[in-house]
Amino acid sequence: MNTVSPDMPVPSSPDVTPRPSVAVWPWPIALGLLTIFGLLSALLGQHGVWLALSWAALSIPLIVTVACLIRAWCRTPSVKGGQS
Amino acid sequence: MLFSEQIFDTFVGDDDPPYESLPADTPNASLDVIVQKARALYPGQIITSVNQDDDEPAVLVSMAPSWQALKDDENYPDRHSGHWIKFDARTAKVLKQSRPADAPKEPRTWTGIILGTCTRLHMNLFAGLPGAMFMGAMGGAFVASLVSGTVLYGRFMKRLPFGSVRTDRASRLTWLDLHNLLGAATLVWATVVGFTGLVNELQTPLFGLWRVTDVRQILKPYANLPVPSQDHLSSVQAAFDTAAKAAPGNEVTGLSFPGASFGSPVHYVLWTRGATPLRARLFTPVLVDARTGELTGAYPMPWYLRFLEISRPLHFGDYGGMPLKILWALLDVVVIFVLVSGLVLWAGKRKIATDARLRALGYELDDADGTAPAGFALTPVEGVR
Repeated sequence: MNTVSPDMPVPSSPDVTPRPSVAVWPWPIALGLLTIFGLLSALLGQHGVWLALSWAALSIPLIVTVACLIRAWCRTPSVKGGQS
Repeated sequence: MLFSEQIFDTFVGDDDPPYESLPADTPNASLDVIVQKARALYPGQIITSVNQDDDEPAVLVSMAPSWQALKDDENYPDRHSGHWIKFDARTAKVLKQSRPADAPKEPRTWTGIILGTCTRLHMNLFAGLPGAMFMGAMGGAFVASLVSGTVLYGRFMKRLPFGSVRTDRASRLTWLDLHNLLGAATLVWATVVGFTGLVNELQTPLFGLWRVTDVRQILKPYANLPVPSQDHLSSVQAAFDTAAKAAPGNEVTGLSFPGASFGSPVHYVLWTRGATPLRARLFTPVLVDARTGELTGAYPMPWYLRFLEISRPLHFGDYGGMPLKILWALLDVVVIFVLVSGLVLWAGKRKIATDARLRALGYELDDADGTAPAGFALTPVEGVR
């Protein structure tokens, strides 16, 4: 029954060779701040330029998302489905 | 629900008669005149409230046979003894009346049925206060899941630049990356909508809290007085003017007559609200003694109700014009996708966990489900070996 060798990768084991780590939070924080600004500028400003700023600020997270998706699927066209 | 106003305008429409076109600076008729007309239309009935319309030059007068009749209505769901009359605020002419209670029911439109069903499902699952509390708990779970998701995001994204979606490897990784990307982009919005939704579901207990604390204190000296006959009350118009002076910077939107279930037996309750857009949701009730017409006081809402009122639009997304509504809908779609991808990952994880458990049977039992402490789990491992 000893089918699993001890050195088989366990899902939760930390990487043995650490690749350079990336700054995780700047993007989410920036998008979060934009969201907060967008939500509040329309709420507090209620008209004119504040509304336009709110629309702009709230669309940026969506635009960034779409940009990332497009980039991801353009870089590896038709490779998707290598394994399911 | 986001677009309910537009949907109603498109599919149902408004059959109110048009307003007379008068010069813009036509002064409003005295509310006393309007009240007199309403009384003359239904002699022997009581007036329950007088409300000014937000954006139309109209005054809505609500009437009922008696306060007791209104109270009895609560026990009979299909009885509606209250009714209303809509007056032109400038000419004091009757514009429209509610349908009499014995008239055949207005045929309900499909739009109305669908939207009404959605709203009630969303608010309380057709289950009243317990339903609302359940939905509030769901909102709390939603916010908690966002927090835990954020923690996991930090762990998963340590070696990945923001926004990378690995499409060339296992589909599970694609799902994971999509979940992370869309979740991170909409995290703050989802948190705000989730949290304000939770606060909204608490409105009934919060208003109840205010009623049993501050409001009860204020009304205590008057609680046992009899409700005076409506023939002997002070002027309604004067009460509006008094309230406008008592709450400077606020506009008076309506008045409830003495005897209303939430008010005092001897006071007009005047509802005022801030005149600036931000303060427009902060109501300050003003009490005017209906026997003498004298001001009793203005009572701003406590902080928790102010917070509730300010947070409302942040849940509904209806405060920044059509572009904001569209953005709201798009963000809704993205968050729904985050939810779906989370479910896919969860279902996949269950499959993997089962496989791993089968393969690891007898080898690493403390991975099984964590119910047995590690020390005990070792024993069968040694036995199998």
